Amino acid sequence: MKSDTYTARMRADIARRYARSREFVADTPSDALAVGTLGTLALTGAFVGFLTTSRFTSLAVVAFLLAVGYGWVRHQELAAKGVTLAMTVSTVLILSLITVFIFVEAWPVLADRTGRVFGVPVPGLEMFTTTQWTPAVAEPKYSMLPMIQGTVLVTVIATAVAGPLGVAAALFLSEIAPEPVREVVKPGVEILAGIPSIVYGFLGFTVLSPWASDQFDLLGQGTYLFVGIVVGLMALPTVVSVAEDAINSVPESMKSGSLALGTTDWQTMTTITVPAAFSGISAAVLLGVGRAIGETMAATVMLRNSPAIAEPLYNAFYGFETLTSLIAANYGTSSGFQQDALFVAGCILFVSVLVLSVGSQLVEERVERKLGSGE
Amino acid sequence: MARATESTLVREDTSAYEAVAGLTVGLAAVLFFLALAALVDIVSLTDTVVGVPTLTLLGTLLVVMGVAVVGFGLLSYREVFPTQPRESAGLIAALLFGGIWFLLGALVGSETLGLGPLGGLVVGLVAGLGAGAVTAVPREDIGSTLPAGALALVFGFVFLLGVVGPEWSWSPANFPDDQQVTFFARSVAPFAVQGSALVVGWAAAKAYGGFGARGRHFGAYLLVYLNALAIIAVLVALVAFVVFKGFVPVTESVQFGLGVGPETTVALFGFSYTVVWPVYWPFLMNGASLFTDITGVFPAIVGTAWLVIGAVVLAVPLGVGAAVFLTEYAEQGGFTRVVEVATNALWSTPSIVFGLFGAAFLVPRFTPQPQKSLLAGMITLGFMLLPLVVITAREAMVAVPDEYRDASAALGVSRWQTIRSVVIPASMPGIVTGVILGVGRIAGETAPLLLTMGGGSFVPAGQRAKVLNGFQLSLSPPFVTNPELTQATTALPYQLYQVVLTGTGETAGVNDVLAFGWGTALVLLAVVLSFYAVGILTRQYFRSKLKYE
Repeated sequence: MKSDTYTARMRADIARRYARSREFVADTPSDALAVGTLGTLALTGAFVGFLTTSRFTSLAVVAFLLAVGYGWVRHQELAAKGVTLAMTVSTVLILSLITVFIFVEAWPVLADRTGRVFGVPVPGLEMFTTTQWTPAVAEPKYSMLPMIQGTVLVTVIATAVAGPLGVAAALFLSEIAPEPVREVVKPGVEILAGIPSIVYGFLGFTVLSPWASDQFDLLGQGTYLFVGIVVGLMALPTVVSVAEDAINSVPESMKSGSLALGTTDWQTMTTITVPAAFSGISAAVLLGVGRAIGETMAATVMLRNSPAIAEPLYNAFYGFETLTSLIAANYGTSSGFQQDALFVAGCILFVSVLVLSVGSQLVEERVERKLGSGE
Repeated sequence: MARATESTLVREDTSAYEAVAGLTVGLAAVLFFLALAALVDIVSLTDTVVGVPTLTLLGTLLVVMGVAVVGFGLLSYREVFPTQPRESAGLIAALLFGGIWFLLGALVGSETLGLGPLGGLVVGLVAGLGAGAVTAVPREDIGSTLPAGALALVFGFVFLLGVVGPEWSWSPANFPDDQQVTFFARSVAPFAVQGSALVVGWAAAKAYGGFGARGRHFGAYLLVYLNALAIIAVLVALVAFVVFKGFVPVTESVQFGLGVGPETTVALFGFSYTVVWPVYWPFLMNGASLFTDITGVFPAIVGTAWLVIGAVVLAVPLGVGAAVFLTEYAEQGGFTRVVEVATNALWSTPSIVFGLFGAAFLVPRFTPQPQKSLLAGMITLGFMLLPLVVITAREAMVAVPDEYRDASAALGVSRWQTIRSVVIPASMPGIVTGVILGVGRIAGETAPLLLTMGGGSFVPAGQRAKVLNGFQLSLSPPFVTNPELTQATTALPYQLYQVVLTGTGETAGVNDVLAFGWGTALVLLAVVLSFYAVGILTRQYFRSKLKYE
């Protein structure tokens, strides 16, 4: 019964769309239609040509440009709409291409390392049942577990640094700081985000790592602890700016109401502002976690780049490899299954950061619904 | 009635109490920086400071402060000085103190008393629960001072009585031999002192405010201000350190004067004009060569410039166009939602994943044999810039008031004309700022370049990317080719990574390589931070215009 009404609604919807497109076709001058079709075909052709590395790609591009040029001169209104639509579609297309390409490249090794759980084949399972990354032996093993341990340790430490400090800094910037101080601290935090990760890495590599090895009498250089601290510093600005937006979005009337009852500023913050902005603040921390997971160069430069499990599992004083540094350090010199395994690492990174990003967006949406917009 | 209210609001004279509490906060700050100095080896733990062994001094200060803080609590509890404490110090404070004491108890129980992991857990739980209860159950003035003061007292006596002397060290027994860690007094003691200084300083600030709402306000503000100060201090220290290390290599044998610089020939349509630069700056104008004294980063600068140009040319029109469609044409609904989620997801996608994508999607497509190329690097970085352009352009366009659009539409112009002459100019400041900040970010990006563009560790000046001279026309498709675009080149961040690789290899002349690295880091930092400075200044300029007009 329910599905019947659903199909009926679908049908009505399709019919309405069809009618609308017929109307559009009837209303639009025929030369504009022709050029629009040509442009669309040419753009699709150019894309297909690019994918197949055809020499004729440039012909399709030229055809598209000609179509756009003609449309621009004769029907600027429609051409502008069409071109901006094409640009929007290509933005979405890029995300889907990224998804498709890294998964396609990862597939061969996943298929080869299929394991069975209760007789059901699970692709890639064998990459998670051993702990060894040994690409250079007769029967190479490509376990992701050492890198996952590294990424988890670095991310936890980075979040412990960036989360509390970032939220405190956001509170400071939006609620506490007097205007002149704010004018200094806010650009300062932004510039902290601007320092390239390789510069952080270079500092870590030349100063911090030798210092840490000396302080804790470590064998060799490279610790998850200090990579985590550096990465936390790099994730800090993300947390600050998103959390600050969330705190700023708490309506002034709520704070004034609380202050009018005779509370101190700090009481208003802890009892009104922070609880109201709580979901926004957690979205900020989630985004910070995402940044920390994906940070590459500092980890690559400061770690040992020889995948192994740190023992005991919480031993953050020895740093071997994270998912990101594995890719950066090995891509140029690997081939075959080893290279595909790097794409597996990329897939893990991509999916986990995607989940965090979408999750934080859902949380932020909830904030907007709860607090209303612009009040 | 009014008089009655007044008398409860005016606080009695507590200046002596406040003065001592304020002094304790200051002492905590001194202690904190003393410990910091010990941590970075400015002050040695085995030496003496003002005639007293360092550890003894730290211990004495800790004991003094611990006694002071406990004293504040007791004095307030006995109501020697009037304060306004609450019923309890609160759950958060209880959890924090409980956590600190749990860790301390567990470590002492399992290692010092030798009770093993289980015994350690029991001792830790007892200590943690005890501290939590002491914090949460009694009145606030006791709850927030006793556990803090006790922490300082314990560490103070440990240092004073020599339980932890300058030669103390400890390695956890359950760590494997090849992953052994040793904690020395020289790193543990400063950390312990810093931690206790923070806790004691917070408790003293609360006492200064007379506990209660006002006390909490002071305590919290102390920590929040310290945090902001620390962030700025770290930033300044980072930049200053790079400048300090890189200044000498970058400015080595710079010459000014007519005709000292290299020649630049501008050739256009058969005319050519040669300029001789009035400045010779070897580090910025040389490449790697056996014939020059100073190895420079000129090819890397050229590479970074082309990368930025390519990425901007690709991403800005595409991003602004998409933003126009999303804000002005599309109905706000499912489709715009999907695009929004997609752009935000693209923006947080790790740069190395973009690199993988570029390596799989772009690198095999421009030449018969897959090869890293400048073009692949440009497009990859363009893809990274794209979501930021879409997001900022969209924000800027949404912020344009609808009245503008209505006014324009009332004049009878079409939608596209409204967009072109009203919406885009009005949103220009936002877009420009966003693009400049985004460019600053991608100019320093390294990871994607490793996979898509980078080649050569130290590149001679002659092998820089000469894109403008490289275009070749032909009659058969693809008509235009440019070998300069389709071959690997270098860029500033990539160059710095190469320095690190060489540094790990410990080849000949490591010292030189490191100095060269610091120079490269300084140039890269200068390039990126100038983008940021320009972006931030642009934003402030437009904001002030909006405010006062």
